[in-house]
Amino acid sequence: MESLAIYAPRLVTTKEYLASGHRACSGCGEVLAVRLTCKALGRNVIIVNATGCMEIVSSQLPYTSWEVPWIHTLFENTAAVASGIEAGIKVLSRKGGYSQKTKVVAMAGDGGTMDIGLQALSGALERGHNFIYICYDNEAYMNTGIQRSSATPFGASTTTSPAGKISIGQTSWKKNMPAIAAAHDIPYVATACTSYPFDLMNKVKKAMKVEGPAYIHVLSVCPTGWRLPSDLTIKAGRLAVETGVFPLYEIEAGKYTLNFDFPQLRPVEDYLKLQGRFRHLSKEVVAQIQERVKAEYAKLKRKVIQGS
Amino acid sequence: MEKDETIEIRWHGRGGQGAVTSAELLALAAINEGKFAQAFPSFGPERRGAPVLAFNRISNVGHIRVRAAVTNPDVVVVLDPGLIYITDVTSGLKQDGIVVVNTPKSLADIKSELSGPWKLAVVNATVIAREALGIPIVNTAMLGALLKATEILGLESLVEPIKERFGPRAKNNIDACHRAYEETLMAELSVVGQGPRKAFETERLLSWQELLPGCVVIEAGNAKQYRTGDWKSQHPVWDQQRCIKCGICSLFCPEGCIGQNKEGDFEANMYYCKGCGICARECWTEAITMVEET
Amino acid sequence: MATKRIGMEGSFAIAEAVKLANADVVAAYPITPQTHIVERLAELVANGELNAEYIPVESEHSAMSACLGSSAVGARTFTATAGQGLELMHEVLYVASSLRLPIVMTVANRALSGPLSVWGDHSDVMATRDCGWIQIFAENVQQVFDLVLCAFHIAEDPSVLFPTMVHVDGFHLSHVIESLYLLEQEEVDKFLPKYHHPYALNPDKPVTIGAFGPPNIYTETKKPQDIALRASKKVILQVWRKFSELTGRYYSPVESYKAKDADVLLLVMGSFSETAMMAIDKMREEGQKVGLIRLRLWRPFPFDEFRQAVAQAQLLIVLDRALSFGGPTGPVCSEIQAALYPLETRPKIISFVGGLGGRDISVPTFEDIIRRGMAKAKQGRLDELEMIEVRE
Repeated sequence: MESLAIYAPRLVTTKEYLASGHRACSGCGEVLAVRLTCKALGRNVIIVNATGCMEIVSSQLPYTSWEVPWIHTLFENTAAVASGIEAGIKVLSRKGGYSQKTKVVAMAGDGGTMDIGLQALSGALERGHNFIYICYDNEAYMNTGIQRSSATPFGASTTTSPAGKISIGQTSWKKNMPAIAAAHDIPYVATACTSYPFDLMNKVKKAMKVEGPAYIHVLSVCPTGWRLPSDLTIKAGRLAVETGVFPLYEIEAGKYTLNFDFPQLRPVEDYLKLQGRFRHLSKEVVAQIQERVKAEYAKLKRKVIQGS
Repeated sequence: MEKDETIEIRWHGRGGQGAVTSAELLALAAINEGKFAQAFPSFGPERRGAPVLAFNRISNVGHIRVRAAVTNPDVVVVLDPGLIYITDVTSGLKQDGIVVVNTPKSLADIKSELSGPWKLAVVNATVIAREALGIPIVNTAMLGALLKATEILGLESLVEPIKERFGPRAKNNIDACHRAYEETLMAELSVVGQGPRKAFETERLLSWQELLPGCVVIEAGNAKQYRTGDWKSQHPVWDQQRCIKCGICSLFCPEGCIGQNKEGDFEANMYYCKGCGICARECWTEAITMVEET
Repeated sequence: MATKRIGMEGSFAIAEAVKLANADVVAAYPITPQTHIVERLAELVANGELNAEYIPVESEHSAMSACLGSSAVGARTFTATAGQGLELMHEVLYVASSLRLPIVMTVANRALSGPLSVWGDHSDVMATRDCGWIQIFAENVQQVFDLVLCAFHIAEDPSVLFPTMVHVDGFHLSHVIESLYLLEQEEVDKFLPKYHHPYALNPDKPVTIGAFGPPNIYTETKKPQDIALRASKKVILQVWRKFSELTGRYYSPVESYKAKDADVLLLVMGSFSETAMMAIDKMREEGQKVGLIRLRLWRPFPFDEFRQAVAQAQLLIVLDRALSFGGPTGPVCSEIQAALYPLETRPKIISFVGGLGGRDISVPTFEDIIRRGMAKAKQGRLDELEMIEVRE
């Protein structure tokens, strides 16, 4: 658990920028992550949303859950649309018609970020636009019915990487998207998770202050796609962090910081056994995952110690 | 139901309850019997917990050509006990049609809540499913109830499709189906109800002239009008004695619908609460319990 | 008005118009034969001659996507592309028109792969026919300049708000140096109103742009879009009239040349029209009653003007610079047939396809097309699609 004063939640603004009445699944970790993100962002933003769960559940004509300016166009072009908005704000404020303080925030799922939208994202990061890109990673194409993406973890059963008589489910390891973002030498990269709300909101606030591109990768538990009861959303995210499956860290100007270090990681099994998508895994595969998680965590810690 | 014409069925369920699976299994069973049948869902953006529809058409005669949604069903099947209070499940139901309802209530109680020129069949499918399967997924139990109420197919025709679909879990599902068949009770509804029939909210749809250029929505946050509270099958209740007013429930609520009332007590706005149970799970002092909707 | 006639490449004339329009954002990806346009614009921005943001995006898909963003925030937005680039933009084009974002784009028309061809034809245009943009064809460098300026005015009119393409034949117009009259900055400032999108993205007035449409509303979103695009013709005519008052240069949705008393009409689009005029002149000298029709406005299709322009003719010969594989005729010709079909009396129609992938059509070839068309009509061979000058 985050070390925090017990009454810290009371310090969070009660102002909502994502209105109730959205149509997300009961217990959705992603919509919660977006809700908390918006609290940290405040009102002076323009949000660009990729096609996906968040777009569908928050904007059905003639309704919108958005209390801030928001645009959705396509699936793979979120970073490019954000580029255009940022450039527009820049030139209009130069010509005296806009407040330059307005921050552009792109939001997309793992598919929209790591698969189909990677090119547009890479372009926008490389060009150095002043914007925040947030990937809400629920580890598969949930909007279309739980198909695998490059974010789907090894061993997870999805509808297009199903566990079967001769298959363990997904047979590739999760793509390291934060590392790809960091390889663009941008000022700020961070990982976050809904189960650590203050950490998440702090990182969003930090990203707001960055001049240039900031990338935040938020693990967003999907009870529907991960096949777990809707009340376990927060617990599952917490276990992802405590087992080292999804460590929370920041890369500021190339410097790594581990926000929550667990000298004694919990066994990954604690995390896996909670979820139906891993139910089929043999002991051997679980052990294989455990090895990988340990190795990756050690790699990350080396970077922290070395400073970059 | 011996008429030599297509029988149309509308399934009312919630996303994740298996209404679509019910319809699919029924169609497959009918086809296995040599009949002609269709099954299809109503595709929509609604998520787990939201009211959804699925449809069947079954014919003894030949290939069914109509692909449009069923609006004048011969039979409606209601998978979730709460749905009869939030949606007009009997909308368009034909004269002498049948309403098959999953409910914990007695036949007499339900009879006082529904009225019209229809037959009623009731079964406590949730209890059956919990006991037979260990989870409250009632789709196979409701298939049993449907067959008891309509006799459109032989109960045995469902066995193969259920085996195909559920593999190792088939036996329990077949048990649920059989048990529901046995326990379903039938009655005639009275044409005139005791009380005024509930008026259901119908969404007013915009005309093309009312849309702005580019279909921009200028009323920020107007989704607040949309009730998602109907999706829940359980709701949180606070023990204010135990509550330390820390607000973690409010912070972790995906709906953003938990706040403090005038007395400073935390509570959920039931207009939006989907009953996910995160607040109860995460409460540090276990001051929140989830209570089944009745 | 500038009275000095100067020489300039077509691509530079486009950049000049964009500069005079004081565009705010240019987002573009280089592709032959559009490159000179965007290179020139990048240079103007680099030299501070155009106070704009130039976004050197990583693909055409992102070019048009960035344009969506900048236009939605209220910035005057321009881009240019060609051929494959237009195809890569394809899905984004539909979003631009349905969100009513008045982006102006020049297309240096180019053939589509394969085989790879960087040279001009109208295959790229025809593939985007139904994307909901206003589409205008230019025939020479002067027109390129004029029509790009007018395009901003048309697109951004509060009753229009549609993205607009100006079609400029690749190489034939993009890379040709010709003479033209420019306009002074003060003249342009007077002619072109400021861009103001009524629902621009701004935290002071939060709007939701791009909400999704389930089956119970999608049809209602499409009807007003179609009605508004058709109605934009009125504004197009007004803007061109206003432009003629400023410059003395007149533009019409359907342009005619020696067509009034013509029995036989040839129809072309784009830069080939002036070459075709030469053929008309020659045949007129021979006493043939032939004339030329040029479709300037491709979308919204100018039904009334077109029907009026061909009403007197016995025969209409249509030259397409694109194929509709396996379809009835060339894509323009089949639209022409559809436009005339409801009329009681209408000319006979003959379809030719030529000028593909940068192949020239000379004056004698145009004469040949007209003669062959007349012969085919006499023989009643109306249902043939003929590709001209195919080597055997």
